[in-house]
Amino acid sequence: MKNIAILSASLLLISSCSNEFEFDFSFGGSEPYDSNFKDAFESTYKPMESRPILFKSANIYDGIGGELLNYDLLIVDGKIKEIGQVISRSDVEVIDASNKWVTPGIIDIHSHMGVYSAPGVRTSSDGNEATAPVTAEVWAEHSVWTQDPQFALALKGGVTTFHVLPGSANLFGGRGTTFKNISQNTIQAMKFPNAPHSLKMACGENPKRVYGNRMQSPSTRMGNMAGYRSAWIDAADYKEGMSEKNPDQRPKRNLAMDTLMGVLDGEILIQNHCYRAEEMAMMIEMSKEFGYKITTFHHAVEAYKVADLLADEGICAAMWADWWGFKHEAYDMVQANIAIIDQARDGNGCAIVHSDDAVGIQHLNQEAAKAMAAGNRAGFNISKAHAMRWITSNPAKAAGILDQTGSIEIGKNADIVLWTGNPFSVYSRAQKVFIDGALAFDINNTKIQPVTDFDLGIINPTTTRVQ
Amino acid sequence: MKSFKFILLLLLSSHSFSNSILLKGGIVHSGTGEQAKLQDILIDGDVITNIGNSLIIDANTKVIELNGSPVTPGLISPMSNIGIVEINALDITRDDEPEILKAGFSIYGAFNPHSTGIPWNRSNGLTGSITSPSASSFPLFGLASYFVLDGNLNIKGKKDIAMFGRIGSSSGSRAETLSILESLLELGIQSTNMPLEEVLEMRMADQLELQAQDIAALARLVTSNLPLVLETNRAVDILQALELKKKYDLNLVLSSVEEAPFVIDQLKESNTPVIIDPMDNIPNSFDELGSSLELGKILDQAGIKVMFSTQRSHNYHLMRQGSGNAVAYGMSYESAIRGMTKTVAEIFNLDRRGSIEAGNYADIVVWDSDPLEPSSFPKLVLIEGREQDLSSRSSRLTERYTNKEDKPSSYKH
Repeated sequence: MKNIAILSASLLLISSCSNEFEFDFSFGGSEPYDSNFKDAFESTYKPMESRPILFKSANIYDGIGGELLNYDLLIVDGKIKEIGQVISRSDVEVIDASNKWVTPGIIDIHSHMGVYSAPGVRTSSDGNEATAPVTAEVWAEHSVWTQDPQFALALKGGVTTFHVLPGSANLFGGRGTTFKNISQNTIQAMKFPNAPHSLKMACGENPKRVYGNRMQSPSTRMGNMAGYRSAWIDAADYKEGMSEKNPDQRPKRNLAMDTLMGVLDGEILIQNHCYRAEEMAMMIEMSKEFGYKITTFHHAVEAYKVADLLADEGICAAMWADWWGFKHEAYDMVQANIAIIDQARDGNGCAIVHSDDAVGIQHLNQEAAKAMAAGNRAGFNISKAHAMRWITSNPAKAAGILDQTGSIEIGKNADIVLWTGNPFSVYSRAQKVFIDGALAFDINNTKIQPVTDFDLGIINPTTTRVQ
Repeated sequence: MKSFKFILLLLLSSHSFSNSILLKGGIVHSGTGEQAKLQDILIDGDVITNIGNSLIIDANTKVIELNGSPVTPGLISPMSNIGIVEINALDITRDDEPEILKAGFSIYGAFNPHSTGIPWNRSNGLTGSITSPSASSFPLFGLASYFVLDGNLNIKGKKDIAMFGRIGSSSGSRAETLSILESLLELGIQSTNMPLEEVLEMRMADQLELQAQDIAALARLVTSNLPLVLETNRAVDILQALELKKKYDLNLVLSSVEEAPFVIDQLKESNTPVIIDPMDNIPNSFDELGSSLELGKILDQAGIKVMFSTQRSHNYHLMRQGSGNAVAYGMSYESAIRGMTKTVAEIFNLDRRGSIEAGNYADIVVWDSDPLEPSSFPKLVLIEGREQDLSSRSSRLTERYTNKEDKPSSYKH
């Protein structure tokens, strides 16, 4: 709200003393236009109450490639305070983590929880504004249902942070938002503070099918390209208009153009649904034509075919371990895809395991295990400690929150999972999950297991749905 | 030339005839539910002839040292689209749904041994598949067949071994679905002592536009022991299905059964086997509000026979990951292995398949590590005693893009 307040105050000034325009000008009436309206719908998240905790004798994957065996870890005030071979503190709660594993909270860069809530009924289908190929004006967060029972299931799988995207029916599907996996009954209270928005773009079959079936553009892949480029031309025009120093000379505010301008200004990150290699290469070329950066290609079933290109451009690929065959553009699956991206240009690639699925998000550790094993069968030598990056620090980077979470490093948010065993084993489960140092899930304590409004009394008035 | 060819043929066939293999020193999960043991497996031709330690072999027997690797029977998917769907979103590549036929729709004639899903799933440990029609709006979708996944154009399998259908939420009322289902079973009974023409003219048959194939399939349901696999989730729907089983003496199998824990006693009492996706704990509809990861454990502990499906198209081998998760949540390990092997063979009457027992076909997988870990992978797959090539389109693409292809550089990407 701050910017609008300044804007309207200065407008008032202009109308009351228009002869003093020059004065007003220097006084700040020409605030550069903020297309991102950072204060609109801003996060009201407050960390849950936490106490200092000392994990003793933990085996740690730090999420940035390190493996620390039999280490102590201290968290204080919701942050990671100290990591060492022996930390002695008497005034804190101690958790014996011997023979257990500690990792950063798992992060999913591609979720539709809340916008495609469970049960998956028509009334909860809020993820695709499939009414026009360019809907950069919509925000996925405005569709989120806070009582989606899928959030709690993901939490049991160790997921502390997830990025909710609109669907892929459209060329520009709208803005995506990053959330903390905590039970709240407003969307703003779940929003990850100081996390950038993203813009969902989609290549290939989906937009051309959705609009082609309606006999409108795009109905082809070339139609897709023309659609994106036309929108970027409009956005460049809008951005130029908004650079007018005199607010009166600026064009009328346009939500879709605000989003595209935010991308051009580098404030909104591109999350681009794209399966085929040549399409990814074209999207990169187009980003250069209009001067923006692609953060991540999503699904990217053929990313392995352009692994070096993605590494050179510093673009991440968010992939499944093994999904294929459901669409023609998902036909060329290789299980080593994630490893090939990771190892591109001497290990400088950015590989992410994503879910796009309410079951998959609960087992991202298993998906990473499959991808790692497939990579090693293909001749790479990828350690578990390294593969842990694919579900922690790399998705944090892609969501623009790596400075806050995604690894076990001093000063970072204490988003932490204590696993019953090695997280790359199917038999291991998240035992305790901490978000900003607060216990958000405990496998042994039903009081520390979120229950949504939806779950209450829905099968039997005296019970909760799952427990 | 003719005689030369003839001799060659003789040589080839005699070679394959005397083809005996000893799989030496593997941890053998027989599929029967018994505890795994360190054992040798002797294979002669296409059949397992002996299992034990210090087996006597002749000089021509090929010995494969397993050094303690886990061994299981070849996995069999109890419900898949293997061989009949190439690409889901491309109708022209799909043969899983009929246009005219209903209960009598058999997918058998559509099975494509060259489908890319076959080598892929085989290289991941599947040696057999029960390929079934996909769900339709009609309560009975049609007939499933069993196929051996050796990719041979000379298709080996068993035609029309089970009927698939569903009870649950629909565009109309489930009460109507149940009523129609019952009428269909009655038609099946009546058809056994009435001329086909008269059956087809009966009001229900006429209204539903049933064909001769449909009537014949319905008759099999009520007169033979043809398994009927009904997808149900809501607790009370499961009870309705069990009532039908009792009334018509059906060989009933239930699939999905996400709310089975609420009716576990009745399910046990009725001795009805189930097919579950142990990873699906999402309340995807109002029929499956009781969905949880403990389903496998609860069914197993009640002594109910459990088999596994997976949500993921094309990756039917992922029932392995699903069963691993079931074990993580309390199902017994050997029940999980049995659920992917012998239980499937037993329930669907697949003779001499599904377990490592003397006299059975040698459909066997040797794993690089614990087969219930998603990161494990087959080292060796035998189908009817023959070593299978583990390559697939996927492995070929991997070789190409990891520069292992023997090609001039300009052809490398």
